[in-house]
Amino acid sequence: MIEVRSVSKTYGKKSNVFVALDDVSFEIPDGASIAILGKSGSGKSTLMHAMSGLDRPEKGQIVVDGEDILKLKRKAVDHFRATEMSFIFQSFFVQANETCYDNVSLPLEIARVPKRERKEKVLRALKAVELDDKIKSKARNLSGGQKQRLAIARAIVNQPKILFADEPTGNLDSTTGETIENLLFAYNKKFGTTLIIVTHDDDLAEKCDIQIRIKDGKIESTTKSKPSQKATKDGAHKVPLGHHRRIQ
Amino acid sequence: MKRRDIIRRAGRSLRQAKTRTLLTSFAIAVGAFTLTVSLAAGEGSRQYANKLIGSNINPQALFIVKDKNFFGGGQSQSGLRDYDPNATTNRAGVAIKQLTQDDVTKLQKRSDLTDVQPLYQLTIKYLVVAGSDKKFTADVSRYDDTVRNESSSGSLPPLGQQIGDDELVMPQSFADTLVSENVIKNSADIIGKKITLTVTKPSQQPTDAQIKQALTSKNPTAAIAQLTNGVSKDVSFVVSALTKQSSTNLSFTSAVQIAPSQAQQLFDYTTLGTSNYQKYAAVTALASGSNKPEDVKAALAQAGYPSQTAHDLQNLLFTIVNILQGIVAGFGVLALFASVFGIINTQYISVLERTQQIGLMKALGMPNKDVAKLFRYEAAWIGFLGGVIGSGVAWGVGTALNPVITDKLSLGTGNSLLIFQPLPVIILIVVLMLIAVVAGYLPARKAAKLDPIEALRTE
Ligand SMILES: Nc1ncnc2c1ncn2[C@@H]1O[C@H](COP(=O)(O)OP(=O)(O)OP(=O)(O)O)[C@@H](O)[C@H]1O
Ligand SMILES: [Mg+2]
Repeated sequence: MIEVRSVSKTYGKKSNVFVALDDVSFEIPDGASIAILGKSGSGKSTLMHAMSGLDRPEKGQIVVDGEDILKLKRKAVDHFRATEMSFIFQSFFVQANETCYDNVSLPLEIARVPKRERKEKVLRALKAVELDDKIKSKARNLSGGQKQRLAIARAIVNQPKILFADEPTGNLDSTTGETIENLLFAYNKKFGTTLIIVTHDDDLAEKCDIQIRIKDGKIESTTKSKPSQKATKDGAHKVPLGHHRRIQ
Repeated sequence: MKRRDIIRRAGRSLRQAKTRTLLTSFAIAVGAFTLTVSLAAGEGSRQYANKLIGSNINPQALFIVKDKNFFGGGQSQSGLRDYDPNATTNRAGVAIKQLTQDDVTKLQKRSDLTDVQPLYQLTIKYLVVAGSDKKFTADVSRYDDTVRNESSSGSLPPLGQQIGDDELVMPQSFADTLVSENVIKNSADIIGKKITLTVTKPSQQPTDAQIKQALTSKNPTAAIAQLTNGVSKDVSFVVSALTKQSSTNLSFTSAVQIAPSQAQQLFDYTTLGTSNYQKYAAVTALASGSNKPEDVKAALAQAGYPSQTAHDLQNLLFTIVNILQGIVAGFGVLALFASVFGIINTQYISVLERTQQIGLMKALGMPNKDVAKLFRYEAAWIGFLGGVIGSGVAWGVGTALNPVITDKLSLGTGNSLLIFQPLPVIILIVVLMLIAVVAGYLPARKAAKLDPIEALRTE
């Protein structure tokens, strides 16, 4: 369970203050999938950074399993991120000069997983994203979709409780994007991992349990998809109430 | 992240920027090269000096004086100072106390010393080689049997044994002069030839009676000249050997050398009645039996006689070697100093280039101190690489050039100027790694302080 309680984040000094997050509050149940939607510059990434403890908002609490991570020491937050969370970034951030194996192994090394346990985990993660034939390839030789799959392998290798994905399909064509989406949701279902996806893509957002809309740093609306709607991929069933604005 | 993984990742990052890594480490390699050579040359020189002293000087030998300024070159004394009848003032204006016959007797009586012999240094009027009337002048000293001498012609007694009373030894260069002056044909011809030394008794204040007698003689002018000129005496010797100077021959005496008893007689003759009579600048002796020269030296110092042992001579040589080594090492240190800036620069660029990677690692929960460690280990790798390249090249080139150097400096076969030892080189490499780590401190701190969100924003 993740509780975001009246989180505010401002940038800049007195004369030039910019409120990026303004009194944001919501709850995410364990194992849920959440979409954070909003226009560019609305504060989606800022919210994600705050929730993961990467950034420290001035006000509010981020309570994960009963503990306010904003009150933890830097080291404890680092440890928390290394063991319980992982990230998928919009622009992959795979290490182009390293092999797929080393890319995926990085979070395990950071979490100080012993070497002999690493190999099995890395192989399992690469198999899950169907990159097990590219173990020794340099990441720079992968296609865009393969890179993002590698990023997913890196994100799931440590079996995190919470997985953040910032526009995971933003740079991909629709079919490849769909593959990535399926991978993420499959993982979310299989392991009960809380999935937090930042996206522009309404279709992707529809597949999530909860949609949180942000505008100018404030929560505009929070909607929940019905389980039946989420289960099917048929667009016709997906028309939810209150979502008519997005449907042409 | 575990240390091993950090080191592995650090190495990998460097491999990905091969050219830059190599170029940066070359700067250190220059320093490492110079320092390795200086270490090897120092070791080689010390071993060589040891060998020289070991094979040339009786390890029991002591060189005893009265005035410790003798060893320090003396203090230049220019003010008004106490008159000391037992001091001589050399040309540099240095007063050095001399040993008197009393001192010599005292030393001879000591049980921890044997073979106590004053150093006779005398000047002769001239010397003449039999069969020629050409007159030469030279310094005369006693033959030193505590030092190994090498002969180019004739034969010398082994170390510790004196030459005969009627024998004379002189340097090869003296014989060469005789050849060029047409006194002899070949330098070897001098062996077995007779040489006559003419020494003068110093003129003395004539007594009233002597003056009166001279004035009343048949030829007063000649008589007075005779009276004030002093008396001379001729002593003859047979040349038994020519000594040669070689690089393994440590203390080469550039004087005509005769047996100590002969030298003493001549010295007494030439100094009788002067203030130098039975005064000696120094005495040589051997520590007797199982007495250690160092212990005897301490005992002598207590008794008021400063002395030097073979070991001191070695230390003197070592001091010179150390100074030379220090100069070479100084250049190496300068090169290292320059390379430090190279490392700082390279590492800063590396941090900038990898901002995104640093951001990612931090986002994945890598603690700041591990990020700093990653960059410090990278610097250490650069130091290691530079050290190995520099020392390796120095070792290889030095080993290859050693025979040439030995030949050029005529060090004698089996001697090498450059002696490479693994331990100092390993220590050097470790030190270089530490220096590199220190140089990488600031860039590593920059990496550690990087804001992960900012870092992830940069594309
Ligand atoms: N370091 C900063 N200093 C000042 N303003 C900032 C800083 N970081 C972000 N902002 C501002 O905060 C707002 C929210 O930024 P954020 O990155 O969260 O947007 P976003 O919703 O993720 O947009 P996008 O969809 O384009 O990624 C933006 O207006 C941005 O300009
Ligand atoms: Mg964003």
